[in-house]
Amino acid sequence: MAQRAVWLISHEPGTPLCGTVRFSRRYPTVEKRARVFNGASYVPVPEDGPFLKALLFELRLLDDDKDFVESRDSCSRINKTSIYGLLIGGEELWPVVAFLKNDMIYACVPLVEQTLSPRPPLISVSGVSQGFEFLFGIQDFLYSGQKNDSELNTKLSQLPDLLLQACPFGTLLDANLQNSLDNTNFASVTQPQKQPAWKTGTYKGKPQVSISITEKCDLEGIMPNVTISLSLPTNGSPLQDILVHPCVTSLDSAILTSSSIDAMDDSAFSGPYKFPFTPPLESFNLCFYTSQVPVPPILGFYQMKEEEVQLRITINLKLHESVKNNFEFCEAHIPFYNRGPITHLEYKTSFGQLEVFREKSLLIWIIGQKFPKSMEISLSGTVTFGAKSHEKQPFDPICTGETAYLKLHFRILDYTLTGCYADQHSVQVFASGKPKISAHRKLISSDYYIWNSKAPAPVTYGSLLL
Amino acid sequence: MGPLSRDAWAQRLGAFRASPSAFMAGPEGEDLGRDLLSDLRSEKLSEQTKVSLLALSMEYPAQLWPDASAAEVAATSLLDTLVLLPPRPSALRRPLLLAATTALAAGGALGPTSGASCRLLPLLLGLAAGSDLGRGFVPASEQRPLQATACECLRELESCKPGLLGGSLGLLRGLLGQEGPVQPLSLLLALALRNTLVLQSRVGAGLGGLLTDKVSPTGGGPWDWTLVEEGDGRLQPQAPSWPAAEEGEGERSLTAREHSPEEARELRAAVIQLLDTSYLLTPVAQAQLLWLLGWALRGLQGQPPALFKPQLVRLLGTAQLTLLHAMLALKAAFGEALFTAQDEALLLRRLTLAAQHPALPPPTHLFYLHCVLSFPENWPLGPEGEEAAPLLLGPQLCRGLLPSLLHDPMALLARLHLLCLLCAEEEEEEKGQLPSPRHYLEELLAGLRQRAALDGGPRALATLCFQASYLVACCLAGQPTVLTPLIHGLAQLYQARPMLAPHFVDLLDQVDSELREPLKVVLRQVVVSRPGRDEALCWHLQMLAKVADGDAQSATLNFLQAAAAHCTNWDLQQGLLRVCRALLRAGVRGGLVDLLQVLARQLEDPDGRDHARLYYILLAHLAAPKLGVALGPSLAAPALASSLVAENQGFVAALMVQEAPALVRLSLGSHRVKGPLPVLKLQPEALEPIYSLELRFRVEGQLYAPLEAVHVPCLCPGRPARPLLLPLQPRCPAPARLDVHALYTTSTGLTCHAHLPPLFVNFADLFLPFPQPPEGAGLGFFEELWDSCLPEGAESRVWCPLGPQGLEGLVSRHLEPFVVVAQPPTSYCVAIHLPPDSKLLLRLEAALADGVPVALRTDDWAVLPLAGDYLRGLAAAV
Repeated sequence: MAQRAVWLISHEPGTPLCGTVRFSRRYPTVEKRARVFNGASYVPVPEDGPFLKALLFELRLLDDDKDFVESRDSCSRINKTSIYGLLIGGEELWPVVAFLKNDMIYACVPLVEQTLSPRPPLISVSGVSQGFEFLFGIQDFLYSGQKNDSELNTKLSQLPDLLLQACPFGTLLDANLQNSLDNTNFASVTQPQKQPAWKTGTYKGKPQVSISITEKCDLEGIMPNVTISLSLPTNGSPLQDILVHPCVTSLDSAILTSSSIDAMDDSAFSGPYKFPFTPPLESFNLCFYTSQVPVPPILGFYQMKEEEVQLRITINLKLHESVKNNFEFCEAHIPFYNRGPITHLEYKTSFGQLEVFREKSLLIWIIGQKFPKSMEISLSGTVTFGAKSHEKQPFDPICTGETAYLKLHFRILDYTLTGCYADQHSVQVFASGKPKISAHRKLISSDYYIWNSKAPAPVTYGSLLL
Repeated sequence: MGPLSRDAWAQRLGAFRASPSAFMAGPEGEDLGRDLLSDLRSEKLSEQTKVSLLALSMEYPAQLWPDASAAEVAATSLLDTLVLLPPRPSALRRPLLLAATTALAAGGALGPTSGASCRLLPLLLGLAAGSDLGRGFVPASEQRPLQATACECLRELESCKPGLLGGSLGLLRGLLGQEGPVQPLSLLLALALRNTLVLQSRVGAGLGGLLTDKVSPTGGGPWDWTLVEEGDGRLQPQAPSWPAAEEGEGERSLTAREHSPEEARELRAAVIQLLDTSYLLTPVAQAQLLWLLGWALRGLQGQPPALFKPQLVRLLGTAQLTLLHAMLALKAAFGEALFTAQDEALLLRRLTLAAQHPALPPPTHLFYLHCVLSFPENWPLGPEGEEAAPLLLGPQLCRGLLPSLLHDPMALLARLHLLCLLCAEEEEEEKGQLPSPRHYLEELLAGLRQRAALDGGPRALATLCFQASYLVACCLAGQPTVLTPLIHGLAQLYQARPMLAPHFVDLLDQVDSELREPLKVVLRQVVVSRPGRDEALCWHLQMLAKVADGDAQSATLNFLQAAAAHCTNWDLQQGLLRVCRALLRAGVRGGLVDLLQVLARQLEDPDGRDHARLYYILLAHLAAPKLGVALGPSLAAPALASSLVAENQGFVAALMVQEAPALVRLSLGSHRVKGPLPVLKLQPEALEPIYSLELRFRVEGQLYAPLEAVHVPCLCPGRPARPLLLPLQPRCPAPARLDVHALYTTSTGLTCHAHLPPLFVNFADLFLPFPQPPEGAGLGFFEELWDSCLPEGAESRVWCPLGPQGLEGLVSRHLEPFVVVAQPPTSYCVAIHLPPDSKLLLRLEAALADGVPVALRTDDWAVLPLAGDYLRGLAAAV
């Protein structure tokens, strides 16, 4: 259970190599074991240059995909996990755990403690999950609180020392690199969990709401025990699919089994959801949950029709009466894909302002902090586009013809859609001293799409079954 | 050379990292390791620079110190540097320990005879135990971090030399019970325990008191090099091998030996001790602990896996990849003994949930999905090692795991695989209500094709569509309800975007005939129904070269005729000719002749015209099977990528006679002694079926008249062939060497030429009898011949040794047909006719026990030495 090497590679499309190795670290004692374990099937970890080239090719990140290349495009080369075999110097280096996030490629090679031919099943290779955690840990470290390139460079320069602590011999000791950086002062506030990219949700094509309650506890003492309860109002929709932080010491079986997979009924467990835990030093995500709320917070429709040279759009949005009408911000993004730049726009809106990004073929309707008293707003207009040039305007394989969407971005403080809240008085702390307890809630939109009702939306299985 | 400055080192390290091999091959490579060690003691360099030097040595020890002795020297130097550090806090102690450990372990220097090992090990164990090492060696503020580091170093050494710490188990346990750092000690103890259990059981020993003995770390040292030796240097997998992966490795009997009740109790106590504090470890370390302990306890008698149970509920709630993965490892290792059917169902549910939870990143989803399809079931039904949907994974559970067009390619393919598995099951069960998974699959594929058809879309979209089609074709072969719409959908896709032709060709190459044949038909129809002059002509021609065959000839030829007029450039003409070639191979003749003639006249490019003419000539002159071979894949090694060269080599191979290794063997049978000429009897034998065999013989030195070739229609291995008769016409009575050549056709239609090993015609093979004289006149006839030899001829006497068979045996064996007068067992007169017109006369009389004197006469003196040799060799010839 160890890593033979780890790399960070920035993806730089348009440059000759399409990328640069920003960081790499090899573990020679693990490599020595790999040579023994893998026997005749051993393939050494290559130097950075050849690795970079092979990885970018495999991830399809080189710029040249004009022609069909069998070793990359053949229909039988199917990859279903982020684990690859890289052809380097006629031999295949496997398994290489790798993924791209924010233009940075994270990669490592876990040790496989047996022969590689025949290939053992992935699930039997303990180093694979460790490799993922390692890379996620590096990713969290690089991007927590980081805003610009110089900060990124600073963090990259800290990595060698950090790994000397967190992973001195290739066996990961702690995926949380912040811990290693400084055990006392460096525990910064982590950002709320970044929501996944819009293509990765489960039920797409339908509105969806993600809710995060951010809590922060400051405590002293070595091993304080804390119990936090999440409660729902009487008619709140139950929390489901609950994932907890490993510091949670025990879980009620009702919390474990409450799942969105099952059909809902009145007997579903509706809390309070108790989480006893021993908090780590830094702030952390205690749990994640999903819920099936009966109504979306903002209802509406989007109609788009192609009329000769222009598009006619009509949008109507209505805030549900039960939702707190006090946004930190609220805006609707209306992108137009596979078209040229916006050359002409005529519109009428009942509320808010419209920003036009002509080159990006994007409209942003800024709704602001509050919906009007009627709770209902509308926008209509016509848009004309210029000639298409592939470099500048966005391409999207789904939004072709009249298939289109608008996406809502909003945030409401001190509010949750489920009604879920953490009662400050129910927080039990077993430690010396009296801690200050504060609780905040907020509702953040994630993948909130309204599809053009005048054209087919992408099909999903969930909607077929319902 | 004095110590380098900080900047000089930074530059040097940068150059090294850019390409270690290039740097080491350069002028500075040789000194790098030595400079690094000496500069670590330089007072001019900052600690930070020294740490980066040490970091480099931890990554590239093999480059810096390539052999064990260099590694030993380096480790010694690093340890010296460590000892010489002034007694104040320093950032160098940790990295020095790590670097010394790395140098020894990676350099292969670790062992009982290594001085550096014997210094490092007690130092590490002392630090791990928190003992006072004296002289302010460890400043108080560094004590705890160094304790942890020492544990990590020991763990790495134990990983590389399993069994090394077998004697320290009791000590480590004691430390864990006291105030030592929990995580490093737990992991170290678990690893040492696991390795010891494996090694002890291999030699049939128990744990003994290892878990309770507390040796003093300052004494002679608890290093168990003997246990390491017993391990035979073999590394132990840290992970419990998955059952499927482990078969045949003989590891199952690993822990066959039962432990004594006391040993078992101590072992259980140690494991419980480790598990009870495991929640204090980081999640990744907890996972390692579980893998290690799972492996250690697997199959151990008297150690119920229920020990793990208290941890499981806690772990089930998390979505930590390493923790759930470790749980799956426990599941695979212990099965029902640890997971009841309900537990199994719950684990699967959690896994399913984690595979789609919006809070987790996409790579995690994919790995969990892989885990679902490789789920270690208590009672698996399907074949091992193949991905399959677990029995408990019903349609309800799968609902959120199905693919949608909005997923990225890998997620889509992974989920599509699951959908295919569901569709495959659906076939067996009765049809549910619509919409069925199969219906959904169809819509999804249609959506993918629609995207692939997008003009200007990236190639990745097309690739995804074809990968999905391929996956479906593999998983759902034999289901026409799926394949039929797939085929038609693909045909439409081609119609919409012919530039995907290379993908189609690739798909046709990959799928099996069930999809390939009908898809070919449909695609051919799509292509030939086109007018043959659109922009996509080059793609159509590429496609047609793949799908054209003997069917629907006229439509294909019409298309080509129409297309010919638009093939104005070299590329298109070559494409057109490739289709012609495919048709030639498929045995199309009729209309193709006309087309080729037209092309040979009309094509603008002279190379194209030449090719067309060549095809025309081939078509006119070769029979269908030969044509097939001539145009088939080139037999010549594909040394060049040029298709033209390959094609020409193909023709050469097919139309010319090929030099080939001999596929026929000839052996010489007994010769026939009738008739006017000596006749050789040859026994042919084929190694492969060959046809139209012609054997050609050439006599060296023109001793005989030229020989006629022998023809055999067909030879098959294993089927006895009739002997071949080869009449000889000697020009002088002498043995000769025959060169043999064979010309034949193989079953693939190639004509081959082979050189066979030469045949040797012996002197005796030329013997013919004289016409038999009338009864009773034998002696007179012989005397007459005897007298006629002289004076022109020659006379001699030869001693012919006799074997155990005596004279009678010798004569009956070798000379029987030539005996004219016989007075067995003592006297024989032998007359031999040697073509063309020589004679050899022998009198064998007054035989002794070991030989017979032979009087011989011949009318050809040149025969004399041959006859002498022949007679002397007879006894040996038996």
